[in-house]
Amino acid sequence: MGWNKLISIGLLLWYLAVSVWMAQAPVDPQFWLLASILPALFVVLLIVTHRYLPLSHTSHALITAFLTLHTIGVHYTYAEVPVGVWMDQVLHLGRNHFDRIVHFSFGFLLAYPMEELFRLSASIQGWVVYYLPVMTVLGLSGLWEIIESWVARAVHPELGVTYLGSQGDIWDAQKDMAAALYGSLLCMTLLLVVRALRGAESALESEAALSE
Amino acid sequence: MGVMAREQSGVRPNDRPIVTGLLITYGLFWIGLAIAPVDRQDWFLENLLAVALVAVLVLTYRRFAFSLPAYSLILAFLLLHAVGAHYTYSEVPFGFWLKDTLALSRNPFDRLVHFAYGLLLVYPLREVLMRLAGVRGRWVSYLAISGILAQSGFFEVIEAIVAMIVSPELGSLYLGTQGDEWDAQKDMAAAFFGALLTITGTMFLRRDERLST
Repeated sequence: MGWNKLISIGLLLWYLAVSVWMAQAPVDPQFWLLASILPALFVVLLIVTHRYLPLSHTSHALITAFLTLHTIGVHYTYAEVPVGVWMDQVLHLGRNHFDRIVHFSFGFLLAYPMEELFRLSASIQGWVVYYLPVMTVLGLSGLWEIIESWVARAVHPELGVTYLGSQGDIWDAQKDMAAALYGSLLCMTLLLVVRALRGAESALESEAALSE
Repeated sequence: MGVMAREQSGVRPNDRPIVTGLLITYGLFWIGLAIAPVDRQDWFLENLLAVALVAVLVLTYRRFAFSLPAYSLILAFLLLHAVGAHYTYSEVPFGFWLKDTLALSRNPFDRLVHFAYGLLLVYPLREVLMRLAGVRGRWVSYLAISGILAQSGFFEVIEAIVAMIVSPELGSLYLGTQGDEWDAQKDMAAAFFGALLTITGTMFLRRDERLST
């Protein structure tokens, strides 16, 4: 068994451990179940397609980091995550901002795996490589908000927008989408900078090699 | 190879007069609807993007020409938008007629145009993705739908920012929402279903072509 497999299995075990731990006495069992279905399906999909879709360790680690954040959030129905409560008290934000942070992480952490996915399996090249992940993050965020509104209307129609995620903010959906957009933009900018630096480095190296 | 060559070239030389005709059609309708709109300021705001889009299409025509179906779909959408802008969307007569006929609580014309946005513009977007970005195969369908959804989401974010700046006290009552708290989600869903419908249709139509190559 090579290093590659060990790292993948290690990340998977970490996720399973966090999931099992966070499955103990969630604040709202119904919400916990609803919000855990998608990530579980996603992880199964990743395992099944593992052979055909060789994502890098960086991608797997980023996905694991995002799922860890989400799993923690779901345990506390997002509105009651201790870190968010603490931030609210220290920075006087007026609400628990943990869900906004996870929306941001959705863009920031998952834009790179998407970039890799498009580059490897759709053989996309050039500037579009940086554009498509941003577009996908925004598209999926929009889809998420649509589904969230359906669930809210199906489960608690009388509560309207005050149900769950929004915590009473009428612009919550737009702010969440914007957060994910900024996250993905930041990630792609960092990627561009890193690649530009690396390109400059390898150009210098080849220049040095030529002059020798 | 035949399919490839045609898709690479976009508009065939014979079609050029037709494309010019489409542009003139839009120009005529646009001028007609620019006369005495219900709210001049709103009309101006709504037309900024539309006119910019047409300018970009004209300026990039030589470098990137869409196919004739794509241009026709873009025209259809722009005409709907021009009508909506003339009547500030919430007062489009056809929308009132729909409201009375279907016993709706609001003028649904803007929802209809959101749906048309997905239905009509996902095909041109698909062309851009295929020819400009070189996306191939099943990814095209997915990315085109995702693109429509992303632009709809982006539009709602911009709308929210404008509303918060222009009239923070009105909140979501301002502009498009007409008092519906789920307005943003419904608008995005409308565009999403429109895009889904067109892409499904395109996949059925293109299947024979793919099989024959």
